[in-house]
Amino acid sequence: MSEPTIFFSEVNEKQGAFTRRAFLLGGITGAGLVALTGRLVHLQVVEAQRYQKLARSNQFNFRLVPPPRGLILDRDGVTLASNRPNFRLLVSRETGMDVEKTVADLATLVPLSPERQERLVRDIKRAPRKSPVQVMEDMSWEEFTRINVRAPELPGVTADMGEVRVYPYGGAFAHVIGYVAKVNDRDLKAAGPNPDPLLYHPGFRTGRQGVEKAFELDLRGKAGAQKLEVDAMGRVVREDPAGDIPATPGREVRLTLDADIQNRALEVMGEESGAIVLMDCRSGDLLCMASTPSFDANRFVKGLSGPEYRALAQYERKPLLDKAMSGTYPPGSTFKPMVALAALSSGVNPEVRVNCTGSWFFGGRTWHCWGRHGSQNMHDAIKNSCDIYFYQTALKIGPDPIAAAAHAFGLGGIFDIGIPGQKKGIVGSKEWKRKANRDPRNQPWFAGDTVNYGIGQGLITVNPLQSAVMTARLANGKKALNPRLIMSVGGVDQPHGDAVPDLPYAPELLEYVRGGMIAVANDTSGTAYRQSQLGLGDVLMAGKTGTAQVRVFRAGDSRKSSGVRWALKDHNWFIAFAPIDAPRYAISVLIEHGGLGGATAAAPRAREVMRVALLKDPEIRSRIEKPLPAPPLDPNAAAEGAAPPPPAVLPGEPQ
Amino acid sequence: MMSGGLTRPGERDRLIVKFAEIDWTFCLILCLIAGAGGMMMFSAAESSWTPWAAPHLIRFGVFFVMMIVLAMVDLRLWFTLAYPIYAFAMVLLVGVELVGDSAKGAQRWLELGPLRFQPSEIMKIGIVLALARFYHGVSADNARMSWWLIVPLMLIGAPTLLVAHQPDLGTAILIASTGFAIMMLAGLSWRLIAAGAAATLGAAIPFVLFVLHDYQRQRILTFLDPESDPQGSGYHILQSKIALGAGGLLGKGYGLGSQSQLDFLPEKHTDFMFATLAEEFGFIGCFSILFLYGAVIFMALRIASISHSHFGRLAAAGVTATFALYVLINGAMVMGLAPVVGVPMPLLSYGGTVMLTVMIGFGLVQSVRVHRYSEVTSGRGAFM
Repeated sequence: MSEPTIFFSEVNEKQGAFTRRAFLLGGITGAGLVALTGRLVHLQVVEAQRYQKLARSNQFNFRLVPPPRGLILDRDGVTLASNRPNFRLLVSRETGMDVEKTVADLATLVPLSPERQERLVRDIKRAPRKSPVQVMEDMSWEEFTRINVRAPELPGVTADMGEVRVYPYGGAFAHVIGYVAKVNDRDLKAAGPNPDPLLYHPGFRTGRQGVEKAFELDLRGKAGAQKLEVDAMGRVVREDPAGDIPATPGREVRLTLDADIQNRALEVMGEESGAIVLMDCRSGDLLCMASTPSFDANRFVKGLSGPEYRALAQYERKPLLDKAMSGTYPPGSTFKPMVALAALSSGVNPEVRVNCTGSWFFGGRTWHCWGRHGSQNMHDAIKNSCDIYFYQTALKIGPDPIAAAAHAFGLGGIFDIGIPGQKKGIVGSKEWKRKANRDPRNQPWFAGDTVNYGIGQGLITVNPLQSAVMTARLANGKKALNPRLIMSVGGVDQPHGDAVPDLPYAPELLEYVRGGMIAVANDTSGTAYRQSQLGLGDVLMAGKTGTAQVRVFRAGDSRKSSGVRWALKDHNWFIAFAPIDAPRYAISVLIEHGGLGGATAAAPRAREVMRVALLKDPEIRSRIEKPLPAPPLDPNAAAEGAAPPPPAVLPGEPQ
Repeated sequence: MMSGGLTRPGERDRLIVKFAEIDWTFCLILCLIAGAGGMMMFSAAESSWTPWAAPHLIRFGVFFVMMIVLAMVDLRLWFTLAYPIYAFAMVLLVGVELVGDSAKGAQRWLELGPLRFQPSEIMKIGIVLALARFYHGVSADNARMSWWLIVPLMLIGAPTLLVAHQPDLGTAILIASTGFAIMMLAGLSWRLIAAGAAATLGAAIPFVLFVLHDYQRQRILTFLDPESDPQGSGYHILQSKIALGAGGLLGKGYGLGSQSQLDFLPEKHTDFMFATLAEEFGFIGCFSILFLYGAVIFMALRIASISHSHFGRLAAAGVTATFALYVLINGAMVMGLAPVVGVPMPLLSYGGTVMLTVMIGFGLVQSVRVHRYSEVTSGRGAFM
């Protein structure tokens, strides 16, 4: 403390050092501030526009507005698939949100089971940020408003009104129309690298089967957008209707089906398993394509539970299978017109008679007929469905002309009806058999194959759609017309089925075969006489019965189906067209395991459905509803019915 | 008029004279910056005095009065209390290490009765005082290069490590940088500066890789490539840049910044207050604020350079260096030039502790100005 406190040189040296360094510090700071200013110029002047754009994209969000899915209508405009309003509750994850608490809060407002809550928490946590998860749908109006009132306190929760697909006829059109279901990973993969943003919308459903799937892009429409001002939490601050982009609704798909006929078909099928296809013989329009038993497509929209699906999938009558085009069966005797036509065109004289004794020994075994018909020409053989005649006729001409006829009439073919799923079946021929079998022992065509072929058994299977087309071509007699299912898409007519070549058979030959079919239904000894009476005056039906065997009969076995387990009964076929003089509609009916002889199960049903089609046709109607002859005019009688002339003076009125 | 009178002995110890000696222009600029902060908080809270604007302005008023009071405190008292304040801060830092309350996963807060504060802030003043006190008694030669320099290194190192361990990387860097700035101002040899810089760089890489907490490392990695994680750590930087850029030249207008109003800007009232201002007042507003900060720094450096005592010089310059570091680090962070380290813009940002530190510091600076002719004479050595 006694030392001098200030050493001047020392002080000056320290001060000098400080001053230099202070200048340096000032310089560094100054440089730093200049650098910051430079950065500001870069951000706020040079790149301002870019950041302004980014700020706007932060500030404004577009909410996807799903388009209404296109309607599916029947030929008269009856709605087969439409949309109904659906109040949905959605939750999207936001930063800093307590998912468990939100779900627990929601459970106090709407019924949510503890398991459902648990699952929701998991789903919401797993979902990408801001992509909503559906908590509930089909809320009541009360639930909807309750949520909307509380929404401001529940971040990430929205209740909105969406649309859900509805099929007013439930299962009647399920196989043709299909259904819609939630988008799955496979759909997203199939959508390619740049999928429609709609696919990620929680309420969106995509077509799964039939028309809904085949015309998905037409029905779907284009999503619109709603412009919203949002905060960083994704909460909507303000709506900006001027910036909205309207959604483009999906296109309307109109089918050639007729709801009345289809519903009648389902009605007459009852519990039976099978299919009914009815086709316009002039235009090719399919008026009915029903497969039973069916399923309620509305259940699929909501999503089936495991047990529900298993019940459908495991039921022996196969409700999920579209039997009309995906089920193939031996055509049985309904194939006989083809054999007859092949024989006629191969030069077989139809008047040459074959004697049916009920059985015929050939190739080391006995071939049976279902009856004992005696001497048969071709006409009788069709009318009586005589197996012996057709065994021998087929053997006479060989399989190839028969296969040619079958192909010409659409058997073994797939038609472009707009929806997938047709199974083409088998049309046997020598070449086909050689290619189809690996084992050389099975490759050659045996005479027994031909014999069997003659009655539509063995190496021939068809689906009911092909069977209907065959009947329609037979009835039309000229055109090889194709079926049409889609009438128009978005108001644009789809090509007609009639723009096709003529059949390669002389009209007289077809006329002859048709004559046989007319006899089946109108000759009192025809196999389906009793079942084919339409009761529509001179509008008559022609047809052909058929039995498709599903089991091998040993000698001595009864061919009767009664008393046999359902799955072992014969399939029951009936094909028909009407009216016989100017064929307008062709129908094929298949009853799986319906028992022996198409007349029993299939023909009465064909008649009922045919009646509806005929009665709906204005031309036919006018033929049936001929005005009754007018009664002779009697002036007194006429006066009785007419209003009495008013008296000149009304009684009781004051004068 | 005053100069004649002020030469009389004892004249400068009169309170009224001291009061007049305070740099009132400087004080006005501080008020402008804090006022701008309050104004932006009013806007960020959607035209509401709560929760930020009113507390901010009231707090500033209180601290402003405190600054004036501190300006009157004799520089020799500051000198005498230099080491005790540092020691007190060290005790608190150790205390927070042992019993501190953790906020956001970091131990930073110490509660003493109703008071809740961060000891690391006291250390910011403590380190400046202690180093100024130390260098006051060290010769220029020794300050340049000598074994004595181990002492300031320890004075800096101990609190830096403690704060970094809390972990509060931003404050630790600030304390270390402030200490280094004072060492440099005291005349540290350039060779040592170069060696130190090289050593720091060499140590930084293993430090980043092994010592830092995950979130700290993430911030640095994000800074190097902000686009890599726009939803996570890069979000802050990206949103801040958007706010600045969207402000453009003239700004969107008061209360009209979508980035801050709609909460896209994180920490809009604290660390990113500058971005809030930038969005609404554009380049013009930003430049004005930076200009004011520059003015504060240069005026404070000027005060430091006119002090007659080495303690006063280093103390004022040390406070200025801390302040400048705050401004530059926060500015760089907001503009996407530095990682997000949690350093606020002093006076502009909401937050009592930092404002308290800064205002105490400026009280010291004003005290240096008021007492610029005082002889600080408590012995020749560094510790006596």
